[in-house]
Amino acid sequence: MTKLNKKRRQFIIMSLIIPMLLLIAFVVFPAIDLFRMSLTNWDGYSPEKDFIGIENYITMIQNKDLWMSLKNNAVYFFIHLFMIVGELAFAVLLTGKLKAAKFYKIMVFMPYIINGVAISYAFSYFFSPINGAFDAILSTVHLESLIRNWLSDPKIVNYVLAFVSLWRFSGYHIILFMAALQSIPQDVLEAAEVDGANTWQLFKYIQIPAIMLMVDFVLFDNIRGALQVFDIPFVMTAGGPGYASSTFTLYTIKTAFTFSNFGLASTMAVAIMAMIVLIYVVQNYLIHGLVLKDRRK
Amino acid sequence: MKRRLLASILTCALTASIFMGCGSSNKGTEANSETTAAEQSTQESEESTEKEEAPVQAASNEDLSGTLTFAIWDNNLNDFIEENDMVGKFQEQYPNVEIEVEKIKDDSEYWNAMKMRASANQLPDIMFNKPFTLSRFKDYLIDLSGTTACANNELASGYALDGKVLGIPMTSGYEYVFYWKDMFEEAGVEVPTTWPEFEAAAKTLQDYFGKDNPDFMAIACGLKDEWPDYPYMEFMPALESANGQNWNTMAGQDAPFAEGTDINKAYKKVYELFTSGVLGKDPLGLGNDQVTSLFAAKNAAIIALGDWGLQNIQGGTDDISQLGTFYLPTRNSESDPYNVIVQGDSFMGVTTHSKNQDAAIAFVEWFYSDAWYPDYINYVSSASSMVNFPKEKDPVLAESDTLCPDKVLVMYDGGGDDFTAIQNETTFDYKKLGAQMMTEGFDLDAALEELNTKWAEARTKLGIQ
Repeated sequence: MTKLNKKRRQFIIMSLIIPMLLLIAFVVFPAIDLFRMSLTNWDGYSPEKDFIGIENYITMIQNKDLWMSLKNNAVYFFIHLFMIVGELAFAVLLTGKLKAAKFYKIMVFMPYIINGVAISYAFSYFFSPINGAFDAILSTVHLESLIRNWLSDPKIVNYVLAFVSLWRFSGYHIILFMAALQSIPQDVLEAAEVDGANTWQLFKYIQIPAIMLMVDFVLFDNIRGALQVFDIPFVMTAGGPGYASSTFTLYTIKTAFTFSNFGLASTMAVAIMAMIVLIYVVQNYLIHGLVLKDRRK
Repeated sequence: MKRRLLASILTCALTASIFMGCGSSNKGTEANSETTAAEQSTQESEESTEKEEAPVQAASNEDLSGTLTFAIWDNNLNDFIEENDMVGKFQEQYPNVEIEVEKIKDDSEYWNAMKMRASANQLPDIMFNKPFTLSRFKDYLIDLSGTTACANNELASGYALDGKVLGIPMTSGYEYVFYWKDMFEEAGVEVPTTWPEFEAAAKTLQDYFGKDNPDFMAIACGLKDEWPDYPYMEFMPALESANGQNWNTMAGQDAPFAEGTDINKAYKKVYELFTSGVLGKDPLGLGNDQVTSLFAAKNAAIIALGDWGLQNIQGGTDDISQLGTFYLPTRNSESDPYNVIVQGDSFMGVTTHSKNQDAAIAFVEWFYSDAWYPDYINYVSSASSMVNFPKEKDPVLAESDTLCPDKVLVMYDGGGDDFTAIQNETTFDYKKLGAQMMTEGFDLDAALEELNTKWAEARTKLGIQ
């Protein structure tokens, strides 16, 4: 073996070992510890904890407030899911020859780089029932009849919060789609154009299949984001009124820190990991196995 | 070459084992720390007894050295510390002791941080507690009963757990109802002295000012944050029963929320008040900061807050000449006693994790001495808890005493171990319950019935008699 080969081999081994060890130390080991903790009744500060088997899992399943919180997560999930189509369309539009495309790119990405807590504070004042900007806008355009208790009506509060979440994260998805669209070789697109493909055909038969990996990532990010949404409801409503706008993560944190039940909170954290994987598998099956089945043939 | 590769692999393995070691060695360390805590506690107790006999020697002790971490959440205390060079003044007496002040955003965040740090053996040397967190951290706090600060504090011994004083309350906390005198006068409302009068006054104010101003709130209560309902949801059961230990009493009952119990009566009163429209058009959509500002701007006539609330109101207006206070009248008639809540607040304690406990105790003694405490207590609006440094109340707060000369003080306890355990098991959150009262379709009787069921189950499960 030459010296260069030895060096190369050494480099490859190190490149594999170091990330693997870091992954074990910071991901695998905490995950195992989390699972172990989910089988205990640890209160978060006492030195001792007892092994209680699957009791926490039974308690979690029987908790109706937690199910309500999970239902609220579903609102974020579906609203973001429907918006992905719009985000994709917007990305195609911005990738094309649109005037002031750079300006629009900055505008759509800006909300994502602003601190989430700051955004939530700003929107809680925007939707405030007294001196709130949104109500003022509606009054100015003589739409007073549409004014609602935006942050305290259990029927609409989750949609208001999901709107804020959309405002913040849509730009991020658009930028991801744009990056993927720009990576499509121009000659493929030009060849299709020469063959007489119109814009819709380009989009359907060339652009979408070419960026499917990114679409998969965005869909996964949507599941993860929707199930782990925290800062927006935490700052804007604290999960209220009651548990009307609470989310799974918010309820987990309340269980851990307000009710000092770290064991049960760990169980919820394990459940959220399992749900993310499960929903992703189901979603993948639905999209690739059913919707895009024909395309594969 | 091979040797170098082997060395690299071993280094990585060593690094990984360190990470693993950090995570898995807790149990042993925790067990050790518990024993050490007990030993240290006894040791400190003996030392502090000696201190009481010779406080002067301790004060001039230059042998003490080390760095103390002083974790706080109070903005007013933080401002005062910065403006008055607390560290410099302390070092005039203890030149070899460094103080690191650690400011945490608010008390909720403070407890979260402290819980995590307690489990990691990383508590600060000096920490604060509220009455309801003392029992939670009792294993991590040393006994301060032998200190001069404790001897001079009028409330500390009342909060002792198992005979140990785990914290010295910095202030005596009273609860007030702030109101605008000119608004009361304009609406023709007298200061209420009973609960029915309080309800009637709120309704009159709402009708009078609400007809021209749809945003008006007779009573400002930022229920979006949930906690601002604590004067009603947390303290009214104690006021109703005249029992500051009411949470502990409830921990010994199977159906404490049943019809006719004090908490049942108190919550029914609160429910009727909250749902009568006197909180304005959307109290669930507003937080405490917003309603306090609206109260300061006279968009609300009444707000119930602790004595600390005066500084917040002053921050929102230049003119407090018409600002007055009275105590929340929860009694049904004038023949009943006028119960008023008092509690120790901000209990300063020394933790078992402190490596410089002597220095930490010296700091506690210094903090409550002539060198620091009198200036601090005069800076804040809260009342003094030290008998050797009495403080005259602010004229706005003093009005409540003038209006209520026959008050009966109820010393509030935040609930002991049994109550906390049941509360955690049943997820009983009285502040959230207050906010839920304002939601559509809320049934108080059903909610209290459900709590009774959960309560009895929790007591059985936890084996609490």
